[in-house]
Amino acid sequence: MSVFATLDEQSPDRFGSGFVRAIALHILVAAFLAALAIYVPGHVEHWGESASTVGAIQASMVSAIPLPSKVEPVEKSVLASENVTPAPKPPPKEATQTPPKPTDILIKEKTAPKTPPKVAPVEQPTPPKHPQPTPPTTKAASGDAATQLPQAINQVKNGTAMATVQDRTFGNRYAYYLKIVSNTVAQNWYTNEADPSASQGKRVTILFDINRDGDPENIRIETKSGSPSLDASALHALQRVEGFGPLPAGDHITVEYTFDYKQP
Amino acid sequence: MQTGPRLGGPLSSRPLSSTTPLYAVALLIAALFIAPALRAQDWFHLETSTGAGKLRLAVASFKSSSADPATLPAKAAFDETLYNDLSNAGLFDLVSKDMTPQSAPGGQSEIQLSQWSAAPANAAMVAFGNLAVNGGRITVNGFLDDAKNPQYPQIFARQYADTASENNARQIAHKFADEIIARLGGGITGIAETKIYFVKQTGSSKEIWGMDYDGANQHQITHTGYAISPRISPDNSRIAFSTLGKNSGFQIGMYSLLLNRTVNFANTGSTNVSPAWAPNGQQLAFSSSRTGDPEIWIADPQGTSAHRVTDFKGPDVSPTWNPKTGAQIAWISGRTGLPQLYIMEADGSGVQRLTDGGYATSPSWSPNGQFLAFAWDRKYGPGAPGGQDIYVMEIATKKWIQLTHDGGRCDFPAWSPDGRHLVYANSSDGRADHTRIMTMLADGTQKRALTGPGSDMPNWSWR
Repeated sequence: MSVFATLDEQSPDRFGSGFVRAIALHILVAAFLAALAIYVPGHVEHWGESASTVGAIQASMVSAIPLPSKVEPVEKSVLASENVTPAPKPPPKEATQTPPKPTDILIKEKTAPKTPPKVAPVEQPTPPKHPQPTPPTTKAASGDAATQLPQAINQVKNGTAMATVQDRTFGNRYAYYLKIVSNTVAQNWYTNEADPSASQGKRVTILFDINRDGDPENIRIETKSGSPSLDASALHALQRVEGFGPLPAGDHITVEYTFDYKQP
Repeated sequence: MQTGPRLGGPLSSRPLSSTTPLYAVALLIAALFIAPALRAQDWFHLETSTGAGKLRLAVASFKSSSADPATLPAKAAFDETLYNDLSNAGLFDLVSKDMTPQSAPGGQSEIQLSQWSAAPANAAMVAFGNLAVNGGRITVNGFLDDAKNPQYPQIFARQYADTASENNARQIAHKFADEIIARLGGGITGIAETKIYFVKQTGSSKEIWGMDYDGANQHQITHTGYAISPRISPDNSRIAFSTLGKNSGFQIGMYSLLLNRTVNFANTGSTNVSPAWAPNGQQLAFSSSRTGDPEIWIADPQGTSAHRVTDFKGPDVSPTWNPKTGAQIAWISGRTGLPQLYIMEADGSGVQRLTDGGYATSPSWSPNGQFLAFAWDRKYGPGAPGGQDIYVMEIATKKWIQLTHDGGRCDFPAWSPDGRHLVYANSSDGRADHTRIMTMLADGTQKRALTGPGSDMPNWSWR
């Protein structure tokens, strides 16, 4: 016992203030790590991705396969969700006719020739020449934007092509251009350049810019597939493209193109 | 732009300096905040598995918005030309006329896109508009809509006006078709406004004729008595050809389309044939036997300052320039007996033989410089199988494909300016006076005749 007691008495002498400082440093480090944990995942996660919280998915050419929602499937219970989106304001009450009272029925029938609202010739406002900021919507900026796709929804032969857009304006207004880009690259992809056994089921993602004249630039591999021949075939597809036609608007766009090798 | 990850990555992975840890940590944290802000806005993600379809395009019947009796024939010519142009382009999955809605929307406010995007048309794009003839003027308003983007459907709108005639209605349709192709073709320029020049035989005389790329509007150009192998200059201003003089044999002739008459070309007394324009329009290669043996010579478009580039025993004829670089010439040489296809630099160096046998004639270099089209009889001789057909060879690999099969004798292929079409002469029974001009896509599909019998040696304008 006495041995332990002497040890206990000696310890404050030997470690003294250094021990306190060490504990303080540990607390600092822990606090810094906690701060990192708060900030890092939220940002790292959606770099380069079409994460729903960053940009709305605007265009898709997949009809059969709906775009996967990037948001964790918390749905159903709004209250249980962590990232609670602010509830949309209740839509302003339409100036609806108050339902007629039973006594009014006769009068209503007399004033009957109230024509139903015309549906067909909705005058489309001529779109402006330059991209306009999208009017704010009450919709939450999450994956559900994928359900209101303006672009020609198309299934390309024997596979899928999809476009996601972070600039809502371009994707809405010039959806056709993205489809042309998608088609042109796909037409220039010679799948027989890829080794079938090594490439089956693999995906490679290529990044490139399209300049004002419609020429692809800065072609580089974003995510390798693990099959060098598939990576090369995807690069060759881009190198074969001589141009997509002048951009309808803007100075340049960046496209992230995924080649999904699936041979039947 | 890739600014987000690219800027964030190197910063965060750089080893932190031990002397200024606070500074480094601050930098790291700052990078975390700044990176999302640096991310550029125009970022798209596309994806493909295998293959891609063609864009499905519907062409509406244009609305005639005038009562002038000239409206109907103009509209008929316009509708037919527009449909054919878009169909000939080989770019679109064109909605059959049976499946297009019967309505003729005349403007953006009249079209109901749901009609067009739904079955059976299923169109992704709709071309429509109106046409009017008033007081001798024809006015056409053309629209192109993305049928599946009801929010911003319009891709472009164009107005065209000209003096009223069926031919002008066709030209307007060509312009509108080229505009559509420029927008939707993914970098491909249309050829609907290009011309084809060819040789037309009437009796014993042969003259240079011109026509639209679709065979319409055929008209005579030269009146020399005997003119063959027309070659249009890159700026569409002059036609070089070979003409047979009364006592001088074959000479190079030059016709100005601006002056509408022949202009001077300095010939020598010997035979000069098969001219070919350099892509800069400043030089003309041709075959001349002024030194006794037919050799390739290069002169300026007036025929002066000529110099020889080949020096081989045996005939050297039919030069064609690489239109992409202007630095190589392909030609036919008979130095080993039967004529074979060769290429060389324009100064005569670096000669390579491309064909390994048979009887090769009439080379034409593709606009992108990658391919040579030529006529080839691979098994030449009495009783040999096969006949003369059109072939395309990739110059880099010397791999070739055969584009015509069993269609009779084919010769004189020429590329379209977009490099996607070929025009050639075909005689199904081998008789020279039955030769007609055909066109096809450069993969050998969509063959169709442009002229009747008696026409030969087509040449496609450069633009």
